[in-house]
Amino acid sequence: MDVGRHPNITLLTYSEVEDVSGYIGNFKVKMRRKAKYVDESTCNACEECVKVCPVVVPDEFQMGFASRRAIYIPFPQAVPSSYLIDMEACLGNFPIACGKCMDVCDQNSINYDMKDEIIEVEVGTIIVSPGIDMYDPTEHDEYGYTKFENVLTSMEFERLMGPTGPTAGEIIRPSDRKMPRTVGFIQCVGSRSRKKGNPYCSNICCMNTVKETLLLSEYSSDIKSKVFYMDMRTFGKGFEDFLKRSKEHGAIYIRGIPGEIEEDPRTKNLILTIEDTMTGKIEQHEVEMVVLATGITPRVDSEGIRKLLTLTTTSDGFLMEQHPKLKPVEAPTAGVFLSGCAESPKDVRESVQQAGAAAAKAQILMGQGKVKVEAITASVDSEHCTCCGICAKVCPYSAITVDVKNKIPATVTEAACHGCGTCSAECPFDAITMKHFTDKQLLSMVDNYLEEKQKEKIIVFACNWCSYAGADFAGISRLQYPDTCRIIRTMCSGRVDEKFVLRAFELGAPIVLVSGCHYADCTYINANRWAQLRVEKLWNKLERLGIRPERLQLEWIAASEAVKFAKVMKEMEEMRKKVTIEEIKETEKILKQEREKKEAREKKKKKK
Amino acid sequence: MAEDNNTKMKCMRCGHEFFGHYEKGVAEERSCPKCGSFSVRPLPEKKKPTG
Repeated sequence: MDVGRHPNITLLTYSEVEDVSGYIGNFKVKMRRKAKYVDESTCNACEECVKVCPVVVPDEFQMGFASRRAIYIPFPQAVPSSYLIDMEACLGNFPIACGKCMDVCDQNSINYDMKDEIIEVEVGTIIVSPGIDMYDPTEHDEYGYTKFENVLTSMEFERLMGPTGPTAGEIIRPSDRKMPRTVGFIQCVGSRSRKKGNPYCSNICCMNTVKETLLLSEYSSDIKSKVFYMDMRTFGKGFEDFLKRSKEHGAIYIRGIPGEIEEDPRTKNLILTIEDTMTGKIEQHEVEMVVLATGITPRVDSEGIRKLLTLTTTSDGFLMEQHPKLKPVEAPTAGVFLSGCAESPKDVRESVQQAGAAAAKAQILMGQGKVKVEAITASVDSEHCTCCGICAKVCPYSAITVDVKNKIPATVTEAACHGCGTCSAECPFDAITMKHFTDKQLLSMVDNYLEEKQKEKIIVFACNWCSYAGADFAGISRLQYPDTCRIIRTMCSGRVDEKFVLRAFELGAPIVLVSGCHYADCTYINANRWAQLRVEKLWNKLERLGIRPERLQLEWIAASEAVKFAKVMKEMEEMRKKVTIEEIKETEKILKQEREKKEAREKKKKKK
Repeated sequence: MAEDNNTKMKCMRCGHEFFGHYEKGVAEERSCPKCGSFSVRPLPEKKKPTG
């Protein structure tokens, strides 16, 4: 309500984001404001239209327990409190046969010709709060959700208990409309399981069940609650007291998840068979209603938002934050923040905390009015650029624009570039320079390291944030590892160009290691994946040229993995010892010939 | 894109060979089940020329 009235907040309800372009401080957001067919500025929600609407459809908000009309308010607390027409259900548009709502509307708010509106706004920062979906327990056949009327999900039960619900808060079971005297709650439905549902804990279900048992006991002392659980996770402030209160009010907690549920066809009561893991006994419990504490899942349409904002997801499908500990509300794309259940399941308290943090972070940026641009960014030499578009494709931040069709060379938006260098490594025409990590600088380091005693050197390309920090940690931890390693720091493993590796081998390096952040932890969203694909290509190329591909190694090492760094270096040393002088000489010869051939080809091309 | 759920993989560290998922041009986290190294090379079968 406060948001709806706030003078500095424009609320665009019933709208969808269609496109986002630009960068921090200069985002352009294109939105489709869907037609409501009711003018919300004049509608006074008098409800006269609802009374005459002949179309009755299931009410989504009431989980199908009640019906609504084709003209409706989606839920009681909706802001703005004005009606909209569900045109797929309405008879007034196609065929034009009804028009009753229009006839009774004193305010003349109904407009069947209203069209979707495209709105474009310019914003400095974006906060993503996509909400959640509830897990669908249909696949849990053993709980009989699709077979037995008296098996409900926690969300359905919540609606049933709510004062604005289909029964105005009266708790009845669906089969006979009578108050249930025993309610069984089954925890972790669709959560913490690798076989069915999701492997993660949904965070909110335990406390939601505790709350529901208390509400039931307050509603009627005749209702008994039985909670079947694996573990009750009551880790928040006051949560343990809440659980204690629930037990004091008579709720029984049984440690065991039912293997199956059967229904008594006469009474429609449900019989749960469980193994109580506290006693080790198989028990049967008869209850009159079952509530499945279903977990939560990322929104189905959050994938669209992910693509629009060039974000990544973790393996559970939630959006990934920039850093789980140090930057939990910042998205990897600068100027984008996450709140609510965008990056993990959260309860109300945590959601409020994160939303406050995201708003504050966005406010700080906008208050400053300017941002510091990274010193290490890419720049394009438009003369060498052939407009192939590879750089734009690999950029994790969509910081590069190139018009492939009209042959307009690539340009880098410096405010959006984070300096991973993947574009520079991928550019087949060497048209991109990474400031402070140029090809010349990095090749000079390779040349320098391999000036003498090449056979005794292992060339290690290490990313700044993880592998190099891991090496540093190994050093300060006084861990022993072979002194044959020569580390070349790049900002990201994505910066390691094919030609750096080939130059190292041509100059006599027995072993080359490319190492970066762990797969899902790349500082530059997904740039390390391009490093992996490049190494895979290089393995094939080396084999084709008659060079043992095992001499090129790949490893993901985190900043905290000093021990692993030392262990990998020892493994590299063992591998180095096995590379013979003859093998190195042969490699040098092959790669020299290859390079000369390439240079001749390029010379010929230039002459043409 | 060619997709294969039973592609031969070779660990470039210990030489162990195993089968895994591979999709051409798609990066996927792979580690050797024997030594844990991430130097795993997919070895998709090359298509034989027809005719």
